[in-house]
Amino acid sequence: MISIVSKIELGVNNTLLLTDVGYTTDVNIISDINQSYDNTLGIFIAQNRTKLESGETLISSFFVDVDYVNEARIQVDTIEGLGLIEIININQL
Amino acid sequence: MASPTKGNTTSANPTPANNFYQFNHNQNSGSDRLLVFQLTMANTTYPTTATYGGQTMTRLYTTNRGGLSQRMAFYYLVDPPTGVNALRVNFNANQWNPISIHSRSFTDSGGIGNHSLTGGSATPNTRTLTISQDDSLILMTSCSVNQVLTQQIPTGSNKSFITHNTNRQVATGAISSNSGHSAGSVSLRSTATWGSVTLDRIEIKGVDNSGGSTNSGNEDFFSVLTF
Repeated sequence: MISIVSKIELGVNNTLLLTDVGYTTDVNIISDINQSYDNTLGIFIAQNRTKLESGETLISSFFVDVDYVNEARIQVDTIEGLGLIEIININQL
Repeated sequence: MASPTKGNTTSANPTPANNFYQFNHNQNSGSDRLLVFQLTMANTTYPTTATYGGQTMTRLYTTNRGGLSQRMAFYYLVDPPTGVNALRVNFNANQWNPISIHSRSFTDSGGIGNHSLTGGSATPNTRTLTISQDDSLILMTSCSVNQVLTQQIPTGSNKSFITHNTNRQVATGAISSNSGHSAGSVSLRSTATWGSVTLDRIEIKGVDNSGGSTNSGNEDFFSVLTF
């Protein structure tokens, strides 16, 4: 299975902007990317979900010190036509 | 009849943090195309519309699984544009929970047949779906508080599926073997480690090669008349 790597940054009106930046089939890279997401933006959203829903907390507060994070949780069985580069090293991100 | 030809799939388990989510999906070229889209997410919001390549998809169902605090929905598009296009689903408000999405393309399909939905029932959850024509395929999806262990199409035949975490456990993408099923009642089973599990199932019809209509559901009747 092929995983698409997404770049997640602050979008308009305190929402997230997701952009596909590459793909990988390396399970270690996929695990590293998703673990990093879970330990940063993932845990921020989980801990603040109710306040995010009510508007008491804004997602922009996460991005004060962080430009973007990555996630690799889109799975496809072909990359044909997607125009994505292969990520073979997490430092490419 | 002939079974639909399975095409490309795209699955994802993101947190939209927005009032929509969109992703690229590559629809296979060929005749009698069909694109289907399964969605499960927290019922804090609900899906309003879905589009593929800008074309509005038809919503087959949306159901609120209150005991699981989840909403499950199914959309499809007959003869979608081919190649890579954006599939976008819109919500009534920002969704801050992880969602489960699965899309699959078909060619040689006569469209959507029968479907049936069953809310959480004790594992193993065994149900039936009445197939309207020979060689149809069945798509299944399930949700549970606990890990979903199997998707059996038909009962006794485990099919691969994708596991997503939406703060509940979701099994999506399970589908029949390529040869499909004979018309009539088909037994299906979903199992979880314990507790209850839902079972939603949808018939994907093949194309009637006898010269009759592909969508009337009366193909066999007209075939008999022809002979």
